[in-house]
Amino acid sequence: MNNLPKSWKKETLPHKFCPGCGQALALKILGYAIDELGIQDKAVYGTDIGCSLLSWNMFDVDTIQTHHGRATPTMVGVKHANPEAIAIAFMGDGGGYAIGAQHLINACLRDDKITVILINNANYAMTGGQTAPTTLIGEITTTAPAGRKIEDFGRPIHGPEMLQTIASDNAYIARCASDDFDTTLKYIKKALQNQIDGRGFSFVEVLSMCPVNWKKNAQESLDFIKEMEKVYPLGEIKVSKEESVE
Amino acid sequence: MSETKSAFGGKKILIAGEGGQGVQSIAEILARAANEQDKFTTYIPNFGVEQRGGVSLAFLQIDNKPIGYPKFDQADIIVAMCNRAVEVVKKYITDESLLIYDSSFISDDKIKILQGIVKKYLCIPAKQIAQKELSIKVANIIFLGALSQELGDLSAEQIKTAMNNQFKSHPEFQGMNKKAFEKGLQYAKERLNQEFTGSKPKDIQKLFEDESKAWERFPEYCKGCSLCIISCPQKALTFGQDLNFLGTNLPQIDLNKCIACGQCQKICPDGAIKISKKSS
Repeated sequence: MNNLPKSWKKETLPHKFCPGCGQALALKILGYAIDELGIQDKAVYGTDIGCSLLSWNMFDVDTIQTHHGRATPTMVGVKHANPEAIAIAFMGDGGGYAIGAQHLINACLRDDKITVILINNANYAMTGGQTAPTTLIGEITTTAPAGRKIEDFGRPIHGPEMLQTIASDNAYIARCASDDFDTTLKYIKKALQNQIDGRGFSFVEVLSMCPVNWKKNAQESLDFIKEMEKVYPLGEIKVSKEESVE
Repeated sequence: MSETKSAFGGKKILIAGEGGQGVQSIAEILARAANEQDKFTTYIPNFGVEQRGGVSLAFLQIDNKPIGYPKFDQADIIVAMCNRAVEVVKKYITDESLLIYDSSFISDDKIKILQGIVKKYLCIPAKQIAQKELSIKVANIIFLGALSQELGDLSAEQIKTAMNNQFKSHPEFQGMNKKAFEKGLQYAKERLNQEFTGSKPKDIQKLFEDESKAWERFPEYCKGCSLCIISCPQKALTFGQDLNFLGTNLPQIDLNKCIACGQCQKICPDGAIKISKKSS
């Protein structure tokens, strides 16, 4: 294995993510998944606003940058215009679960044949670490200095579990953590394969460390990922019926 | 007309470095110190969307009369703290500008770009001094010291007070900051070893190999996050003395401990490590 995925653009490196960023790690794994499936010439990458937009020039594939969860419907449009394309929508928890949640839900309801990869780092990272829908109860953020309380912010959102209840039998839904390279690669590849095989909607939530906004060093960040895993259990939440038969 | 007053006709200062080097901290200290001394002051931070990394600029103006507009396109004093800053500051240089730069960190080929453009300069091996004698974290304070010498009209004492206020929450750095400040001041005063050159490319060992495996690191990508070090099951990785492109420490490997499991390569978000087993 090379140190960089082939589908990454070498001339734009080093990338713009912070030291120790889990999102960059997830994007590296996505790069390897694109390489291994050999879809670099067919893939269309749609990135959202937030830290995810820092990847706007990261891949050597066709790329669209959109706002506030609109990566999902934009990629649906791409898929309708060119059914041969492999549409990958990449976003953060703010875009996907807060301001753009309706797009995600409706794409799942329609069973659009696209792949959505969503980074869950338990805060709004680019704007300085405010409370997001995914922030854990008790977690301290800039807008919850005493820790997130249910009375103020409600309960944390469980995206894959929510989508599972409305997804079709052909959907693929999973959650993994970016510090586990092999599992994340496996899930992202399966999600992409679900689209390549024309089965249905596929969705992977990736738990991801944000050392800068969490104000933690690398070890503490990995420990906090383990805390997150207690609230957001990992694993394949829905596997397409067709695939499980095969 | 008093000579001393007119000598200080206002200064436009541009400070540029990598995000995280402390560019905005020293600009803020100077702005506060100038404000305390009843100068007219403006300070505009300018950086990209990144939380860390990317070139960070600080536009600072200190004057005896009101300032019309906080930004400017020609600077009187320019501080360049990293390689990437050189290209950014180039267009702000005039024949009258003084360039203060880190001669131990900015590479010689970058400085060559400015040959003929820069008429006045002050080189300080700040990174080297900080690394050898103090801590890499206070390299920016060395520049603050040098700036305080160049801004003769502001009292160094006042700047030091502003500095201590800025880092009130880190009393452990107070002594080191003071030393770094004095170093910079002294350098600017004595103008030691002034030569318009940058750091000669030091050969950083990239490839470490023995008969069974090869481990390669890429200083141009590494951001020094330490994920590889803490993830190594054999504890074969440690931070060494060599620096990456951001000026933070690079990991190095103990090949005797390494089992070539590949975890460091997998966990690296920056693609800065490559490990391969040799088949013989």
